[in-house]
Amino acid sequence: MLRPIEGSAAVAHAVALCRPQVIAGYPITPQTHIVEKLARLIADDQLRCELISVESEFSAISAVLGAAAAGSRAYTASSAQGILLMTEVLHNIAGLRIPLVMTCANRAIGAPVSAWNDQQDSMVMRDAGWIQLYCANNQEAVDTTIQAFRIAERTELPVMVCMDGYVLTHTLEVVDIPTQQQVDAFLPAYHFARSLDPRKPITIGTLVTPEFYTEARYMNHRALLRAQEEILAADRDWEKISGRTSGGLISVDGSDDAAVGILSIGSVMGTLSDARDHFAEFGPVKLIGLRSMRPFPIDDLKVACDGLSELIVLERALSPGGGGIIGSEVRAALSEAHSPPRIHNFAAGLGGRDMPLEIFPKLLEATRARDATRFAIIDVDTAKIAAEDR
Amino acid sequence: MPILTRGSFANAATSLALKTGDWRLQRPQYRHRSAPCAVGCPAGENPQAYIAMVAEGNLRGAWEMLVAANPLPAITGRVCHHPCESACHRGSYDQPIAIHSVERFLGDRAIAEGWNYPLKPSSPDAPRVAVVGAGPAGLSAAYHLARLGLSVTLFDAEPEPGGLLRSALPPYRLPRTVLNSEIARLLAVGIAFKPNRRVGRDVSIDELRADFQAIFLGPGTSRPREWSVDGTVPSDLRTGLDLLREWISIGAIPTYNRVAIIGGGNTAIDLARVLKFSGVDEVHLITFQALPGPAVRREEAMSAAPREIGQALEEGVTIHDRRGVRRLIMRGNRVVGVETVHMKELGTATGERKLVSFEGTETILKVDHVIPAIGQQLDSSVFGNLLGQPGIFVGGDARSAAGTVSGAIGDGCRAAIAIRNYLDGLPPAGDEMPRPIAFDDLNINYFDHAPRAEALILEVEHRSAEKEIEAGISHQDLNAEAHRCFSCGECMSCDNCWTLCPDNAVLKADTRDGWRYAFDYDHCKGCGICANECPVGFITMFDEQ
Amino acid sequence: MSSEEPSANIAELHHKQPAFRGLEAGHLACPGCGQALGARLVTEAIGPDVIIANATGCLEVFTSAWPRSSWRVPWIHSLFENAPAVASGIEAALKMQGRPTKVVAMGGDGGTFDIGLQSLSGMLERNHNVLYVCFDNEGYMNTGGHRSGSTPHAAVTMTSPSGKKRMGKRHLKKDLLAIIGAHQIPYAATATVAYPSDLRAKVRRGIEIEGAAFLLVHSPCPLGWGHEGALSIEIARLAVQTGFFPIVEMERGAVVNAMQIRNVRPVAEYLRPQHRFQHLFSDSPEAREELEHLQQLADYNIERYRLTSGQSESRDTEATDTVMRGGMRWS
Repeated sequence: MLRPIEGSAAVAHAVALCRPQVIAGYPITPQTHIVEKLARLIADDQLRCELISVESEFSAISAVLGAAAAGSRAYTASSAQGILLMTEVLHNIAGLRIPLVMTCANRAIGAPVSAWNDQQDSMVMRDAGWIQLYCANNQEAVDTTIQAFRIAERTELPVMVCMDGYVLTHTLEVVDIPTQQQVDAFLPAYHFARSLDPRKPITIGTLVTPEFYTEARYMNHRALLRAQEEILAADRDWEKISGRTSGGLISVDGSDDAAVGILSIGSVMGTLSDARDHFAEFGPVKLIGLRSMRPFPIDDLKVACDGLSELIVLERALSPGGGGIIGSEVRAALSEAHSPPRIHNFAAGLGGRDMPLEIFPKLLEATRARDATRFAIIDVDTAKIAAEDR
Repeated sequence: MPILTRGSFANAATSLALKTGDWRLQRPQYRHRSAPCAVGCPAGENPQAYIAMVAEGNLRGAWEMLVAANPLPAITGRVCHHPCESACHRGSYDQPIAIHSVERFLGDRAIAEGWNYPLKPSSPDAPRVAVVGAGPAGLSAAYHLARLGLSVTLFDAEPEPGGLLRSALPPYRLPRTVLNSEIARLLAVGIAFKPNRRVGRDVSIDELRADFQAIFLGPGTSRPREWSVDGTVPSDLRTGLDLLREWISIGAIPTYNRVAIIGGGNTAIDLARVLKFSGVDEVHLITFQALPGPAVRREEAMSAAPREIGQALEEGVTIHDRRGVRRLIMRGNRVVGVETVHMKELGTATGERKLVSFEGTETILKVDHVIPAIGQQLDSSVFGNLLGQPGIFVGGDARSAAGTVSGAIGDGCRAAIAIRNYLDGLPPAGDEMPRPIAFDDLNINYFDHAPRAEALILEVEHRSAEKEIEAGISHQDLNAEAHRCFSCGECMSCDNCWTLCPDNAVLKADTRDGWRYAFDYDHCKGCGICANECPVGFITMFDEQ
Repeated sequence: MSSEEPSANIAELHHKQPAFRGLEAGHLACPGCGQALGARLVTEAIGPDVIIANATGCLEVFTSAWPRSSWRVPWIHSLFENAPAVASGIEAALKMQGRPTKVVAMGGDGGTFDIGLQSLSGMLERNHNVLYVCFDNEGYMNTGGHRSGSTPHAAVTMTSPSGKKRMGKRHLKKDLLAIIGAHQIPYAATATVAYPSDLRAKVRRGIEIEGAAFLLVHSPCPLGWGHEGALSIEIARLAVQTGFFPIVEMERGAVVNAMQIRNVRPVAEYLRPQHRFQHLFSDSPEAREELEHLQQLADYNIERYRLTSGQSESRDTEATDTVMRGGMRWS
């Protein structure tokens, strides 16, 4: 049913439709509204679920770990510092191969303190062993949340659904909230083969010596790579029910004969799409939305970039002293291609800085330069910095 | 090679396959160690073992175990000086187990219930053994010979069996009904009793040797030791045992006013009490031994049973301990007093112990009679030349100077085994006693203080020479007493080792073979907690090879 | 009884034991480990219908080296500081599933007094129906014997050595029980491996109570404390008998019961067999002062918890340190 709804509330409804049994939450902006809404649904008896209001994000993610291991579908959400506080547990969950879904309402990381949006928080966690799916809009956030549970439970891997804070979480959009029947048809009841059960006791969280540790890591790596099929299958199957796709691993928008492409991630895809319409004089530009940051879809990326001569990678996080995170990975991935495009890597919109339509011509300008831009923060104003710190 | 599981989970209890026993430097072993009561019992009883059966509620089993060593528990429970209790480790904690009360309870219960010894009758062609003397040694020897399957004929000079038990123990200590019941049951196992046969008068040794394949001599000691003070002997001197026997057999005793009895043994105490009961004003007992007490070493203390000494004191007997008689004060050949002097046993330069009297401590005691009660010796006129001859065995007071009923019973048992071995052509068995477990090898943290069961004793004003003074203990007290036992050196199935092993390496085992637990040496790391925490010292650590 | 060993089939006997033991043999704890014993006793008191969440520490490491496990009950180890939160999640899940299975969280003193305290506090505050058991061996023993908030004053560890200027740990043992008590949970208690029946009774109590329960179990560490493995129980017992480790019960934050000491022993008897306190027995005035300080701390416990008042119901002699024939007393 289509209705105008705030992103957080929409995601909360999506979560509720998945019938979680345990939710743990700890307040942090901009994630707060999701858990608030879930608490409201529970209070109104629209959702039968145990809500644990924990004393930290560390305990939030730990509690859902316990719940999922004990055989219940579980969910949590967080942002920024909260995600970082969870770091150790996030890695732990992936290593234990426990199926979980969490929402990351993306937000910048302090210091300096910033309560505003970028994607540094989830990008830092790209090596935690979680599947990371990024949403371009609130409809995708709803659909990806529902898909995430199926992906997690089929792959026995945790899934982090990333949606931009404020831009999506606090924005009213018209969203189709699926019906319970639709979700039930898509998502079977939670079943975890290795759950904690006195009738079939197992020991979870063992010590593994060098003799087997490498193989354990290899297994996780392979599991994430194989998860690409489940991500695609979930999107496909949900499309059959809902009529919508969220873009599989990677979405491509634009004509095949475009020589220039822009690859980005999250809600900025909407801005880029509007800008392309607004600045039609720049000719055909292919917009490539990276939905699955982990697993990183190298093969699909190569196909998407086939025929491009210029590829601009725009991201909203960086690895200080290194450069772009996605840019580096894209560059590495396309180095295997027959005739890879020139790759320009930009960061922008850090800590909530506005991403106006005018960013579009600035990005395309790079393609005309003699040398490719290895990495630049496109909207930095160095005049605000003392000369010796530039 | 194992295959890595998803999320590296492991299956339950798979560590059992890991043999951590390889780490062990020391190995615990269940090992029986001797309880001090058993080592200390002259009759060879193992009180710890039968008390354990009492604790389990198996009174018949306890009695049968008891009579496997001592056939006369209702008697010894009353008259034994119970060195077992002096040895009892519980005495180092609060008070020793009242073993004599347990023994007496079992003996009395057997009489009341008519229990018989669990014996098989001997076969008609069994070797024949003559036992001479139906005192405690002879009765015990006869019984044990019968247990060992031999055919026994028991000779005694008196018309009734019992020896000293009958002739020298006053009924207030040993009622005749008890004595008769115990002896009757004993003789009923198939022992042929020949009364009024004094060997050397009614039957000769040669006759015995012709009719029997072995002979046990348990004649007791009948000849009083010589007694004088610097050669002075009162003309009307009579020995303590002589007087006591006379009183027991005819119920009368000479009337005295003030008497000094010399000696610290049971005869001295018994006589003192009998005299007191018969109305003698002053009964003094003079002994170089000490009144028993916590600070007194056992070998220095009076050899009479402490409870008898206590009762005698209550009844008005005056005991002058650590004193000796220096001089008899005579009027003509009659005594009018004794001069006593303080005496003490001291160590000499050579390490021996010597009785020393101290000048300046002399005291005059006015008495009209002196009665030595310092023991008897073997009348060697009949038996002296037989000792050491093949096929002839001697026991009881005639062999050792112990002079105790329980010692005689133990002697009888040892003699029976020796005779059995002799008839079978086996070498004599050694009778070395194992060393008892040390008090420090127990872990008394696991025991709580509990009062000892005390038997009821008649008030002094109700006592007489004819009525038994001490009553037995109740069944309830018996159980309480059994549960007080430390069970030194013997497993009491308390579960401590099973409970406290950090490696689950102690397992409860089938109890039918007597073992309640087993060590799982595959997993025991040899930490030694079980041995350290075993309350009874039943676990010993041994170095691994 | 013969002195021959019985010919029992040990493997068979393992399956015939009368009590369920959630922690099996073959674990890698040091000989005489108090924690291994404590953990097994806890599982024995609970039975098989339980899920355990275990914090990082010795207990975790020595019971779960893949591919083997010493646990017979479902067990999960996540991290050092989150066992109470994991247990909270498990409890919530079971509640939703309508399963009666009990939930127990376990940790050492490092995981409880220090790094996991926040998570524990949250679990207690939310009053989850979880029994938390802390095996207190007074240091980070898994890392090699390091000082924790639970290490007693003056004890030597690798990070609180004694030398010219220092006499071991400078600070006091954290009064965790007071912190736990401040949460006003239904039940909290201390126990020790030296008194197994008391320990098991408290485990059962903690399990039966609806809501959060906390149990602090004094667990000697032969390696870290520097004593013979055979003495683990004896030392734990002396800790109680000296007043050094009071055995108490709390309901809603109020002390309701304290195990009475029959014969109070001087604290030196407890300290002397342990290498971590050896420096207190030198002749220096500093050593004498610290020794006296520890005596005073023990005396203070006796006074504070009224350990010799004789008014409480349970005594250290009552069912806890007396044995009975025929066994089954502990089970």
